Amino acid sequence: MTGRRWQNAGLYLAMVVTVVVFAFPVLWVLSLSLRTSREIVATPPPLLPASPQWGNYTHVLETTGIGGYLLNSVIVVAGSVFGCLLLCVPAAYALSRLRFRGRATFSRGVLAAQLISPLVLVIPMYRLFVTLGLLNNYLGLILVYVAVTAPFQTWFLRNYFDSIPVELDEAALVDGCTRGRALRSVVLPAARPGIASAGIVVAVLSWSQFVVPFVLLDDSSMYPISVGVVNLQNQGGEITTQYLAAGSIIAVVPVVLVFVALQRYIVGALTAGSLKG
Amino acid sequence: MKTAAKPWIWLVPLGVLLLVVFGYPIVEIVRLSFTDSTMVSGEPYSYTGSAYRSVVTGPDFADTLRVTSAFVVFSVVFQLLLGLLIALLVDNAKRRGLRGAMITRTVVLTAWAIPGVVIGVLWQLLYQESTSGILNYLGSLLGFSGDSAFLSDPGNALVSVTIANVWRGTAFSMILMYAGLQTVQRDLLEAARLDGASPFQAFRAVTLPALLPLIAIDLVTITVETFNSFDMIMALTQGGPGTSTQVLALKVYDQIFTQLGLGRGAAMSIVLLLINAVMIAIYFRYHKRREVNP
Repeated sequence: MTGRRWQNAGLYLAMVVTVVVFAFPVLWVLSLSLRTSREIVATPPPLLPASPQWGNYTHVLETTGIGGYLLNSVIVVAGSVFGCLLLCVPAAYALSRLRFRGRATFSRGVLAAQLISPLVLVIPMYRLFVTLGLLNNYLGLILVYVAVTAPFQTWFLRNYFDSIPVELDEAALVDGCTRGRALRSVVLPAARPGIASAGIVVAVLSWSQFVVPFVLLDDSSMYPISVGVVNLQNQGGEITTQYLAAGSIIAVVPVVLVFVALQRYIVGALTAGSLKG
Repeated sequence: MKTAAKPWIWLVPLGVLLLVVFGYPIVEIVRLSFTDSTMVSGEPYSYTGSAYRSVVTGPDFADTLRVTSAFVVFSVVFQLLLGLLIALLVDNAKRRGLRGAMITRTVVLTAWAIPGVVIGVLWQLLYQESTSGILNYLGSLLGFSGDSAFLSDPGNALVSVTIANVWRGTAFSMILMYAGLQTVQRDLLEAARLDGASPFQAFRAVTLPALLPLIAIDLVTITVETFNSFDMIMALTQGGPGTSTQVLALKVYDQIFTQLGLGRGAAMSIVLLLINAVMIAIYFRYHKRREVNP
């Protein structure tokens, strides 16, 4: 068995290397965010600050717009999750359960949309929004977020509904339910984990969304956190390294917490569609 | 199942939104690409093929394509390979009951959840070009100069950006490959082992064939994602120094929103759209079975 023990040691070593490579960038920036200006430029760089400067965080929260950016992100993300589920759930249910002409075409259209670059979309949208006066309008922005995230979620939820026995709906229909009621009272409760997965993935993707708000918003007080971080970065000399680092940590903490707590939902949602394809 | 009376009621809200947000811009961008329009509003424009001529004959676009292809090829190859390796590592460790397998998976996956712009900022801080920059310091311990210009030297910048992008994208490939490994039939692997196959032979004969459909889907997905890359590079280098890291999406943005050349930028974005279209066609081939037998 010594061969097996050597193999296990090799696996442990490989895991440690992997964890270091993937955790280090974030931990290093966390460390930078707690330094004094003197420690930032010290050579060699100390691994940890002598005493953590938590004041860097209060400074960033007080002197930059980052608190507002966070709040804006929460609003836009909440709206996007709600809107996406509102549109995707019925569509995915119909694609899973109903047979009709044009079903395959609709599915393919949705699948194709998933692979189109959002940048190509926002160029004409920008001109359209300027004409319609929708620039700097959260409703318009959220609709674009929903459109960009909906295709993948529609596919995922359709696969999820496929895995729920049709007999459930049929029993409800025989009992005199309409389709809508069958979906609401029988299928939706059974699909709750899948819908949670879809919602969480939309939340993470919307939190990260950059090109859409970058182009469709020009009022900096409306920026979500992603555009806000770039805005901080572009303040150049005014924002020193430890504050930029603190701002970055503030931008990732909410999404990383959600991710670590709910990752079992996310892993399922990322892989389910592809496995069945 | 019986045909429903009104299937479209369920689909119209999503369908309308997708038509407005996808259909309209695609038609519009094709139209604009055949004009000499600018971003200066209200300025009259005419229909012409000059945008395409200028894109094809101008020296800048060939440069963009060269930068983009190097970025895409190296990103995709290393994301897939590293993703597969880490998936094999986690899967193997988990089957042996080693502690830390799931922690490893979680840590790698966290990179997927971090917004692209923040990843750009993180790596910009890692690549700091003085001796107090951490990668330079670690490099100096290994005998390098300790003041490498990771981002400000045009020769290094694309490599640095690609490494950051591999770090960012490996998680997605890893989780797809990991899911694929769960579908590999263990008794086949066991039989191969009993027949005296080496681990590598067993991987080639049993594991790899089972993973191939997923590898195909992964390749299409990450290739599209990489071609569409915008946010991380925007935060890391803004496409510079010069145009040394200006990939296609950044070039289109620069052409339209900085140079204000709407027609020319639209023509360039058609190239991005065509790449997306080719990938969609490939994707459909792998999703066909599902369409025939839903």
